[in-house]
Amino acid sequence: MSLLEFFTNHTYRMVLAGTVTIGFVAGALGSFAYLRKQSLISDVIAHAALPGTLLAFLAAVLLAGTGGRNMLGLIAGAVVVGTIAVLFANGVARTSKISIDTAMAVSLTIFFGAGMLLLRIIANGEFPGKGGIQDYLFGNASVITIADLITSLTVGAVALALMLLFWKEFALRTFDPDHSSVLGFSARAIDTLMFTTIVIATVIGVKAVGLVLMVAFVVTPPAAARQWTRTLPGMVTLSAVFGALGSGVGAYLSIVLGNVPTGPLIVLTLFALFLVSLLASPRRSIVTAVLTRRRARAALKRELTGKGSAA
Amino acid sequence: MTSASARRDGEFACVARNLSVAYRAEPVLRNVDLFVPRGVVMGVVGPNGAGKSTLIKAMLGLVKPLTGRTEFFGLPLARVRQRVGYMPQSATVDWDFPTTVQDVVLMGTYGSLGWLRRPGRAERARAMAAMEQTGIADLASRQIGELSGGQRQRVFLARTLVQSPDLYFMDEPFQGVDAKSQQAIVAVLHALREQGKTVVIVHHDLVTVREYCDHVTLLNQRVVSSGPAAESFTKENIRTAYDVAADDDSFLEFVS
Amino acid sequence: MNFVLGTALLAVVTALACALPGTFIVLRKNSMLVDAISHAVLPGIVVGYFFTQDLESPLLIVGAALAGLVVAVGSEWLGRTGLLTGDAPQGLVFPALFSAGVILVTAKFANVHLDTHAVLVGDLNLAAWEQLTVGGVSIGPTYLYVMLAVLALNCAFLGAGYSRLKVTTFDPQFAGSLGIRVGLVNTAFMFVVSLTVTAAFHAAGAILVIALMIVPPATAYLLSRRLPVLFALTAVIAAGGALAGFWIAYELDAATSAGMAVFYGLVFVVGYLGTRIEQRRRHRLHAVRAVSTAQSAS
Repeated sequence: MSLLEFFTNHTYRMVLAGTVTIGFVAGALGSFAYLRKQSLISDVIAHAALPGTLLAFLAAVLLAGTGGRNMLGLIAGAVVVGTIAVLFANGVARTSKISIDTAMAVSLTIFFGAGMLLLRIIANGEFPGKGGIQDYLFGNASVITIADLITSLTVGAVALALMLLFWKEFALRTFDPDHSSVLGFSARAIDTLMFTTIVIATVIGVKAVGLVLMVAFVVTPPAAARQWTRTLPGMVTLSAVFGALGSGVGAYLSIVLGNVPTGPLIVLTLFALFLVSLLASPRRSIVTAVLTRRRARAALKRELTGKGSAA
Repeated sequence: MTSASARRDGEFACVARNLSVAYRAEPVLRNVDLFVPRGVVMGVVGPNGAGKSTLIKAMLGLVKPLTGRTEFFGLPLARVRQRVGYMPQSATVDWDFPTTVQDVVLMGTYGSLGWLRRPGRAERARAMAAMEQTGIADLASRQIGELSGGQRQRVFLARTLVQSPDLYFMDEPFQGVDAKSQQAIVAVLHALREQGKTVVIVHHDLVTVREYCDHVTLLNQRVVSSGPAAESFTKENIRTAYDVAADDDSFLEFVS
Repeated sequence: MNFVLGTALLAVVTALACALPGTFIVLRKNSMLVDAISHAVLPGIVVGYFFTQDLESPLLIVGAALAGLVVAVGSEWLGRTGLLTGDAPQGLVFPALFSAGVILVTAKFANVHLDTHAVLVGDLNLAAWEQLTVGGVSIGPTYLYVMLAVLALNCAFLGAGYSRLKVTTFDPQFAGSLGIRVGLVNTAFMFVVSLTVTAAFHAAGAILVIALMIVPPATAYLLSRRLPVLFALTAVIAAGGALAGFWIAYELDAATSAGMAVFYGLVFVVGYLGTRIEQRRRHRLHAVRAVSTAQSAS
């Protein structure tokens, strides 16, 4: 397929634009989850997006009487429930002897289990436009509509704008949690805001790539970007670029190869990007780490033998 | 090594030669030689980041050394494991762990039990004796998180005593300890010395070094001095180890 | 055996087989690793199928368990390079492996009946479908006996390794100084966990195996101060919750694992709120006592 063919096809353009948007936003905001050492929170969020979306669907159908397929409404539901899941996990970890990883696991299972039950209730009822579980697990990039794309762009832009607006606070809270409280910012408020932006970054991708793999969009680009840069602005920018690039290349490949699911291929592309970063980045790669270690070992050994001859 | 020097090394409780450790590319210990005679309390003293804990961990094989090796009673550690006890720094465990004081003390016997054997009556009796020696027998059934810092240290001390080793390594046993616990730990130290056991303690408080230790090793990545306290723990050596200016005597008033 | 009874028993046995090793995972603060391991099941099965060409082969379980071990060991290794922070290593490894599995299924084995979403969600009723008959009499689902074997294996492993698991979990440095090979104990334990996750996914689905493994021990952990109590409570919550969850799912005609996950979640929330109230009460009591002693002193 020629590039021209590729770009003149409406579906292909939608897939590309949709996944690149997701990759960009998730990459940028994933940096904060990464630096807070809580990357897997995005996995909790993605799973909590299931009941969130379903509740929004039910609300739209039962209360508003609309079709229930409104993307903005579904995203809003997922953001609200996702944020509750995050607050629940962090709250339990803060106020009891349960550690954060266990709290996240508990939160994930409660919300996903509830989502599965809701899905069953919806399936048993007569609702227009209801979907099956596989739509949520793996998503489907080829059904992205113009309206979906515009919604993703708008919501993603809001999340990025929040990040820029509260840049200073986010940065402080990420690097030095104790200090930021001293300066008079409410730590709880900043956390909630920061995690809400991460929730947004996670849920806008669920429809296209599914809740199982969304975690990779949030974790992989920052982990790759971290190997190349030392500053926060550098990391957020590079991570966003990596996310967009990996998504674009992965989506392109999946279309060109045909019959290969988009989400998994993007994840593998991002992972390849990460591996290259890990192996080849000049300052922090595994190769340089091994070399520095060897050099240090050799230097110490020289020092040792030098002493031996002096004595 | 010749057999003569091997015999000489057997006179020491432990000998470390040329021990160097690096965390990633940063050297923490450089060419440390350490000789600990039998039956002494040896204090390892030095400023923060001097590599005191690392020295002990490297000797016990818990941190892989870059160069050098350590022998205990003239033998490699694997052959004399039962004769060597270790009391780690306390901050590293989960205090919410659902376990009682007695359980923790019993863990000291696990090294001599295999995969399947459980601590029996003999082990329990030894644990009780160790708890009595450290003055925590009445706390036996408490959950460890309910104890004060000093009591926790005494639990870890009892856990090491249960092993009844000949050589003890203690990493900052007096850290965060109340007066009563301090007394109890010192009493145990003295009792061990009377039994002819050897103790190596990492120690922070310069004021009490002479009181607790017969021998002192001043460490700051390298060994500054090592030997009987009177020879090793001198003003000059402390100045060198702590990098203090020669005229700052207020810092050293207590050493005389 | 009655089908409902057999299926309920399968739920209880699966819950127990998962929850018992789960206690040590909670104590090791490594709960999200179960999520990572369970997602490696799919690629493990695919690769196993590549060699056996038989979806019924028990070797598939071993293959999948090895894939789980790859995630556990691989993420630990990535973490040790010091180039990554926090829980990122797990989040990097398992989506990549899972994606590879999905792509292999669609590209190579499209004609094979290997339903990725069945792997993820699982179906207890389907797992209980095949009945084992002895002398013409049904003695319950075949899979019940598979899970009983896994339960027996786990009990044997935990029984034999109890002391070592305890000391390596509580204080690995000290365990090392006793001459215990901490790395070996960890790897053996992770293999057992991996095997359990693999065996359980038929019944519970890969996503919610983590509910069975983590939530009952987490609740018990909130409420217990001794390890034997922790184990007993875990078993009670796991078995009781399995029955209650089975009933919820039966009433709603939903996946049993979802019913179990939600019920376990509710028990956890009740346990959590209970300990919170107890904490507050004790704080208030302390405050009152402090005030009264201050008053009597003055």
